[in-house]
Amino acid sequence: MKKIFPLVCCLIVLVSFWAVTYTVALSGQKMPESRPVEMITVLNPAVANRMADRSPLAPRPDTLDGKTIYMIAVNWGGPQAALNVFEEMQSWFERNMPGVQTVVRLKKGGYDVDDPDLWKEISERKAAGAILGVSG
Amino acid sequence: MSRHAKTLEQQYGIPTVGIAAANIVGYATGYDFLYTNGCPIRYAALPFPVAGQPQSVLKQYIEGKDPVSGKPVMLVVVDALTKPLTDGEKIKGPPPEAIPEPRLLPPDTEERLQHLFKDKGWTDYYPVVLPTEEKVAGMLEGTSHYPDEVVKTVNWPGGARPLTVEKAAVCAVMSGAKPEYFPVILALATTVPFGNSTTSMANMILVNGPVRRELGMNFGGNALGPYNEANAVIGRTLTLMSKTAGGLRNRETTWSSLGSNLQYNNLCFAENEEELPDGWDPLHVQMGFKPTDNVVTVGTGWSAISSVGSVQHEYPAQMLMRDYMKSLSALGSSATILMDPTVADLLKNAHGFQTKTSLAQWLSQNVKKTVSSYWGNAVVASISEALAMQGLEPYKTWKQLPADAVIKPFNNPQGIRVVVVGGKSQSTWFATDFRMGRGVLIDDWK
Repeated sequence: MKKIFPLVCCLIVLVSFWAVTYTVALSGQKMPESRPVEMITVLNPAVANRMADRSPLAPRPDTLDGKTIYMIAVNWGGPQAALNVFEEMQSWFERNMPGVQTVVRLKKGGYDVDDPDLWKEISERKAAGAILGVSG
Repeated sequence: MSRHAKTLEQQYGIPTVGIAAANIVGYATGYDFLYTNGCPIRYAALPFPVAGQPQSVLKQYIEGKDPVSGKPVMLVVVDALTKPLTDGEKIKGPPPEAIPEPRLLPPDTEERLQHLFKDKGWTDYYPVVLPTEEKVAGMLEGTSHYPDEVVKTVNWPGGARPLTVEKAAVCAVMSGAKPEYFPVILALATTVPFGNSTTSMANMILVNGPVRRELGMNFGGNALGPYNEANAVIGRTLTLMSKTAGGLRNRETTWSSLGSNLQYNNLCFAENEEELPDGWDPLHVQMGFKPTDNVVTVGTGWSAISSVGSVQHEYPAQMLMRDYMKSLSALGSSATILMDPTVADLLKNAHGFQTKTSLAQWLSQNVKKTVSSYWGNAVVASISEALAMQGLEPYKTWKQLPADAVIKPFNNPQGIRVVVVGGKSQSTWFATDFRMGRGVLIDDWK
């Protein structure tokens, strides 16, 4: 009797469910409709951004041969990082483009500090180019 | 670096090439070019990191390939200085008009809007309260300022983004703020965005004055933990403002290597002014404000070292602070000590520090480290070494000392701030390297 009792209970539940469903279907009643999805309007958190004014690059020379270029350490991560890189670059120029004269300078101040005296020196020496570094 | 290159190109007509690690080149030629510099600087990339590498590795870098272009580094350098300009590199003049942002977003379901806010990078990835017109109008009741007033034009990192009172209110609603918090949030808005550096810095937000009690801020037990609505929500709003008006996007405009979990709430708390020992002024009073002024102060830093256990009579708090502060960078002589009221009482009554200033002076005189340890920090080297080269003391002298010489790196006691906070359930403290900025008067934003 103990084994049969659960089976009987399950059977009663299933039959009841079938009966209710069948009755509803026969009576033509509709199942409850889902509620319409609510649409909401919110403010936009984004803020319009303005691009910077464009400025062109300086014209390039055809060649660096016979000319001077400056290598300027900007003090990112301490000056030695750039000076060590420039040491290797100078060596590369000596081996591969010996006609290029290189000058290494340390910019004054932290990496974001301007150094007009140095820019003026580069201009007055009529340098053909400048290598700024090193970030990272 | 792009700014210096632009100066050389534009003002002096000098062809210039920037040398940077690959991670910087993407930012410099992308966002920085479009929104900050406007000059299409040519770059050659090196592998990262550059600083700290032995000479043999740097030689390989220079003789190797540019990781961005795939070409030999020195070929990229020479080409950058000699190749004729493209049409795009000759453009001069104002940029195209900024694409306007509509005030309202198209109507949508709450679920889809929550996804949209996350996809746009406007949130901290916790759910937000959606800023309906009704809720934002309610937030604006918290101030007398007009919605279209610009609190700050945010131009870091690059661009120019007007953070209006209404946009701040939108963020305040999103974070779950109450209208009465809004003046604090507007005062905070003047400091947006938070610290943004590859070095993974964070912010600290400190509130002083009667407003602490009015808003129900926590300055007692667990003040620095997630146990108070005002502390939690005000701190969160700074992050949301930094991501919306501040424009911070991971790997686009913010390049912190590790990032900082402190940026979720920005260490927002209030000082326990009621428990200050006699003679110990609240931070805002030390800055020159009146005790009745309401002030928010934002600091920027990286690290906090805890005393862990309580103060011991045999080795009092100032001694352990001295020891632990040796581990801080001492950049700009900056530190902020957060201490439980019981520690402040002991320092005053058992050890004779009659004011916060006297403790700062003692620490300034007694924290010591070697010159090599001081200069061994790259941020210190970037900033202080440059000052040394300009002849500024004490950096000039420190630079000339032998590596094992001992210096007092917190040379300016005014850089050492002391804040009392906590619930008197343990005599503990944190020594942090946070550098507190100037206080902002909250009352101006009521």
